Amino acid sequence: MSNFSVGFRSSGGVQVLDLQGELDAHTASELEAAIQKCQAEQRYRILINGENLQYISSAGLGVFMAYIEEVREEGGDIKIAALQPKVYNVFDLLGFPMLFDITESEEAALDKFEDGTE
Amino acid sequence: MSAELLTKLPSSDRWARIESRAGRVVLLLVAVVGYVVAAAYHAVVFLNSLPPALGLEIGYNVVVLASFAALWLLLSHVFRRRQPSPARTFWTTLLLGVLFVGVGWGLAFIGRPADLTVASAGFDYETGVPLTLATVVKMNLLGPLEVAFAFIILLRFRDLVLFKRTRTSERNWHLMLVLMSLAALFMFMKAPQAEWHWFDGLVMVPAVVFMVINSFRLSWIVYLSFREKMITIGLTLLLLAMLVVGMSVGGDSLLPGASTYLSYYSQPLNLFKTLALVFGILYCTTAFLSLLFHLPTTGDFQRKADEMAAMHSLTHLVSQVFDSERLLTTIAASPVDAGTANATWLAVPDVQSGSLRPRIVATHNIDPAQVQELVDTTAIYQELVSNGEPILLEQASADHRVTARPGEGLGSLLVLPLIARDEMLGALFAAREVAYGFEKDDVEAMTVFAAQAALALDNARLFEERVEKERLARELSIAREVQRKLLPQHLPALDGLSIAASSVAAQEVGGDYYDLYRLDDRRLSFIVADVSGKGTSAAFYMAEMQGIYKAVTPIAPSPCDFLIHANRALTGSLEKNVFISVLYGILDLEDESLTLARAGHCPAATINLNGEARFMRTKGLGLGLDTGEIFDRTLVAEKVRLEPGDVFVLYTDGVVESRSPDGEEYGYDRLLDTLREHRHEDADELHASLLEDLNRFIGRPQYSDDMTLLVLKWHGIDLAVASEQPETATEGHAPSPAVVDESPETSVP
Repeated sequence: MSNFSVGFRSSGGVQVLDLQGELDAHTASELEAAIQKCQAEQRYRILINGENLQYISSAGLGVFMAYIEEVREEGGDIKIAALQPKVYNVFDLLGFPMLFDITESEEAALDKFEDGTE
Repeated sequence: MSAELLTKLPSSDRWARIESRAGRVVLLLVAVVGYVVAAAYHAVVFLNSLPPALGLEIGYNVVVLASFAALWLLLSHVFRRRQPSPARTFWTTLLLGVLFVGVGWGLAFIGRPADLTVASAGFDYETGVPLTLATVVKMNLLGPLEVAFAFIILLRFRDLVLFKRTRTSERNWHLMLVLMSLAALFMFMKAPQAEWHWFDGLVMVPAVVFMVINSFRLSWIVYLSFREKMITIGLTLLLLAMLVVGMSVGGDSLLPGASTYLSYYSQPLNLFKTLALVFGILYCTTAFLSLLFHLPTTGDFQRKADEMAAMHSLTHLVSQVFDSERLLTTIAASPVDAGTANATWLAVPDVQSGSLRPRIVATHNIDPAQVQELVDTTAIYQELVSNGEPILLEQASADHRVTARPGEGLGSLLVLPLIARDEMLGALFAAREVAYGFEKDDVEAMTVFAAQAALALDNARLFEERVEKERLARELSIAREVQRKLLPQHLPALDGLSIAASSVAAQEVGGDYYDLYRLDDRRLSFIVADVSGKGTSAAFYMAEMQGIYKAVTPIAPSPCDFLIHANRALTGSLEKNVFISVLYGILDLEDESLTLARAGHCPAATINLNGEARFMRTKGLGLGLDTGEIFDRTLVAEKVRLEPGDVFVLYTDGVVESRSPDGEEYGYDRLLDTLREHRHEDADELHASLLEDLNRFIGRPQYSDDMTLLVLKWHGIDLAVASEQPETATEGHAPSPAVVDESPETSVP
């Protein structure tokens, strides 16, 4: 029934989460579980790749808000990359670009992680 | 062939049962007339002192047999099957026997010949003609009396033989009767004094075989109590004695010459009577012996029957209890009450700690603490979960999971899974004080009980779920009512402005909010808000937002001030993952302007009379995303001059994100298109047109998200009023953005 999935990938010390499908109130718990898993494994540099994310609801956006504070306290960050225009619009309407690093490509986000460590 | 015929009859008793009253009267007539005719015949023969003609004799025999056949049918109606009570059957038969012997004995002394041996009981040896009147009287009284008694014995024993009848037992019984009748008929017209031929004995063999077979139909014995058995033993013994001594073949000691009289009366009847009495003796003998042998096991059988009865009644009770607590207690108590176990306890999966760690919810005859101490319930439960079969520990103390030592009241342990609809609902632990305490049948009975108990538990659970569901539905409908009252009941009126608004929740309650408030004669504030998520939690924050709006808008009406206050007010009360997007605006008649600020919300759509449309997308974070500094810094409001015909549409994301059956989103462009098409309508009509178009697009009555729509249309101020108003721009432009930089630092009081 769930048309949402999270893929785990590692890229140079950054945990990349590939989101696929629709992130809404029903599927938000899956992303929560994914981020909790990263936390449990002490991986606080998290990159959300939204290339295949078709839709996000307000409940989906809430997941990022729920964890960003804890992750930043541990010296990490959640960065969001490669969102489709329609999905980016939802982030943008709420003002997420003012709170999160949202980049056009995964590489740009990885670079930002690099910059952050230096 | 007759056997085939009989087995074909569904209830072969039916042919012998005369139901109608008229039928019985006819039978009675046949019997009485036959009897009178027979008596007359004997009188005539006696008076003539000569053997009758062959034709007359045949006629006599036919009449007699018909008469007694009628008597049999009549008696079988009188003794038709009632609730078989063995003791009563033997008792009444014995009483009738005593009565019969008494009467017969009295009759035997009527005109008793001086010397019986000489004249062979008063009949001429050569011709068989009665020699005295007394003989005629006696043969006509004693003979039928004897046959009647034989009939009664058969009919009374029928109830016992056919106890718990099957097709076979019914067939055997009727075959016996038919074969007895056939053997009797073989004696037709045979002279009583004629020599017996070996062939005569042979015809009786089949009848005797079936008599023996029927003698072993004794299943009624099993169900008798000890006392009943003792009584019945006495009765069978007495009846047996009476039959053997009084009426056995040729035994004329109690009724002198009775058999002889009957043999002169009718040979077939005599043989039938003899066979019936022999069957009576056989049956009494087997019954007596069987009763004797069953005596010692009566106690065990009774105990088992009691256990089964107790289990059955408890099963019945269990299925009626819907109170979970009581049900668990009843289930735990049942095996002890039924005497199958000495102590029991019931374990169910603990929801908090997962299904593998059970919780003991009810105990009987044992302390919960004691259970913990003596048995590793968890380990046994886990084994039960993994294979689902009952566990029987014959020597409980030898098992590593049982810490009880011998003598601590835990000799053997039987653990049964309670499974309903493929789900294990719990486990029933039953302990006996002694090792090897559970027999095979105990395990079977307990297994059946466990299945019933599981069903009852399942029922109770479903029942509770239903009650809970109904309660929740009631609560939610109350919540919906409450939330409906949080939305404006009346829209305020302002000169030159028409307003229309609506809000629907996808579930019973939702997170959408809209409101309008008339600050004074010239100013109107309005708000549309959307709490992230759906349902109950969103509804609570919606209520909080309503409170903030009502409280803050009168004291800090300007859009940026309001939103900054609202954001601070919400800090600390919102969950981390919850935020509220808000559109808030002020319409001011004084300068005919509308100022709008957007806190993360979908931008308001606006259109002018010429159809120039756009979204008012100012910067601003959603409430609750940031506690202060960034929020305050980024927030910007937009102020537009109003022109007559200007329309402002505020909505929540449920509108633009609504999908058609194909999965296509309604979208921002379509909203503007529809707006353009209907821009000449006033707010009410425009609002209705937008919803209509939206519903047509969705194509089904179910909304997947909360949807709120607020339409404001500026018509311009009446000329009379307008003349007093300061000059306003009259260009036919779309409301052009006139961003007013409201610096938060300065605007917050």
